[in-house]
Amino acid sequence: MNRVGIPRSLFYYYYGNFWQDFFDSLNIPYILSPISNQEIVNKGIKIASDEMCLSLKNYLGHIDYLKDKCDYILVPRISNFKNSNQTCTNFWAAYDIVKNKFQNKLLHYNIDLNKGKTLKKGLYKIGKEMGKTKHQIKRAYKYALIKDKKRIKKNHIINLNKLKSDKTKILIVGHPYNLYDDMIGKDIIKYLIKNNIEVIYSDKFDPKITNPLSKKLSKDLYFKYSKDNLGSVVYSMKNINGVIFISSFPCALDSLANELAMRKIKIPYLNLVIDDSTSFTGLETRLESFLDMLGGKLND
Amino acid sequence: MKDCYLGVDIGSISTKGVIIDDDNNIITSAYIWTEGNPVEAVRKLLDILKLNLPKEYVVKGIGTTGSARKLIGLMLKANIVKNEITAHAIGTLTFYPNVRTILEIGGQDSKIILIKNGIITNYAMNTLCAAGTGSFLSSQAKRLGINAEEFGDYALKSKNPVKIAARCTVFAESDLVHKAQVGYAKEDIIAGLCKSVVLNYLNNVGKGKKITPPIIFQGGVSKNKGVVKYFKEILKEDIIVDENSHLMGAIGIAVLARRNKTGNTYSLEMKNVTFSTKAFECHRCPNTCELLKIYRNDKLVDSWGSKCGKY
Repeated sequence: MNRVGIPRSLFYYYYGNFWQDFFDSLNIPYILSPISNQEIVNKGIKIASDEMCLSLKNYLGHIDYLKDKCDYILVPRISNFKNSNQTCTNFWAAYDIVKNKFQNKLLHYNIDLNKGKTLKKGLYKIGKEMGKTKHQIKRAYKYALIKDKKRIKKNHIINLNKLKSDKTKILIVGHPYNLYDDMIGKDIIKYLIKNNIEVIYSDKFDPKITNPLSKKLSKDLYFKYSKDNLGSVVYSMKNINGVIFISSFPCALDSLANELAMRKIKIPYLNLVIDDSTSFTGLETRLESFLDMLGGKLND
Repeated sequence: MKDCYLGVDIGSISTKGVIIDDDNNIITSAYIWTEGNPVEAVRKLLDILKLNLPKEYVVKGIGTTGSARKLIGLMLKANIVKNEITAHAIGTLTFYPNVRTILEIGGQDSKIILIKNGIITNYAMNTLCAAGTGSFLSSQAKRLGINAEEFGDYALKSKNPVKIAARCTVFAESDLVHKAQVGYAKEDIIAGLCKSVVLNYLNNVGKGKKITPPIIFQGGVSKNKGVVKYFKEILKEDIIVDENSHLMGAIGIAVLARRNKTGNTYSLEMKNVTFSTKAFECHRCPNTCELLKIYRNDKLVDSWGSKCGKY
């Protein structure tokens, strides 16, 4: 049986649900790696080179977990979304890195809109490799696409409704593979929710709206995800009490984009850079004081 | 009997204690080294404070802050445990209600707090590295064979501070060794070091922040006259250093303890209280959390460090 392994890291947080629906519809069995844990991160760190970011190290840990448990591992390359909307260089490189470090067969497709390589073409290629007919693939793709659109729309509506909440509202700016990963940003979000904060996520806005808005902060931004993230700050700035930037060490995109945003926005912000050695005690000090600050007056 | 409130600030290098009355007057205070053992340091601290506290006072509130605030909060059964940024801001606002900028350099960390109309509007804390903080200065003082306390006086003597890399402690140290070996005078090197601390601070936590007067400089390093001098020179503003600048965190948390008093009375007597911690690694899941169990009088009072919340 040809089982596909899906690492629960990086791309998963953009395409995971889509892939699962697609494979479900095609009756292709797959296995998801577990929620990130210390063991996975430690493995990843051993495999990765020093200079890779924590998120990529974590990704390699997930691949390592899957390597003996499936026949294929799904590793796409996502390079750009046209019109100078480049993705992070790790997204370009992931396939080659995995290919070099592991002996597994990889399921692979390219998204490179500048060269006309779309998600649709990519998934057709994968379906064909797995021995499915054109008709089957077409149906599966449509099915997954419709479900995905619904899900994304729902997320957008929830996020927009949160902007109207009466609670203290904090916009969390970061890449979804950092924000929702248990070993990177999840603890921060849990802490905020526990303290009765309305948490708004930068990635749950419609990029069609946020992406062009980033021009208000800078016209020279290069990477798509930087634009989306900073656009979300511009979009929600008037309705929120504060911004928390979360990035993994040493993210090149964020080191530029977040610094820029911090200098230009006029509302309270906090910058948290997470590495594998980051203890929550240090984060807690910063978060607690940030919430105190939003809480207001300190005099009697 | 009169009410009083204890604030304890347990930093990485030093432990500070202050007892204030209802009008925020300092009744007594103490400043000792933590020496890597916050529990013992606090015991010593309480002994000193107890000795100097007039008999007519009863302690009606205890607050803890600083990096060991949670642990010591449990030990003293504090009625409030707060982060050091809030504590510093409150302490400073008590004496300087118009302050706009607080610069703080402590043993391991440095922070900047911006205040407007009594509200913190922004702050930053050093992230990954402790470059340019008190521990770096004191280790360099040791290298040069002088007391950390005399550091400032040496720096003031210099007319010609040497240039030292301001970015990173490791580079700064190699610069320092090099400059000493080629024959620069001690005071010029020390002055250069003080200057590099200031530059490092402004490039690190201070970057992108609008520093508006009145500016107050506190934390242990504020006692170093050389650093104060270069802050003045580089910012071209007057820098206020309070005589209690090293105690501001403790004062702030004492004020908070007063505001949050519950009516309970506290004892400063710790002789009959045993307090211990036990660390172990949990192997129930692949996270292998490092756990710490806290015992007060041999009774488990809390445990920390688990990701899942089982302990």
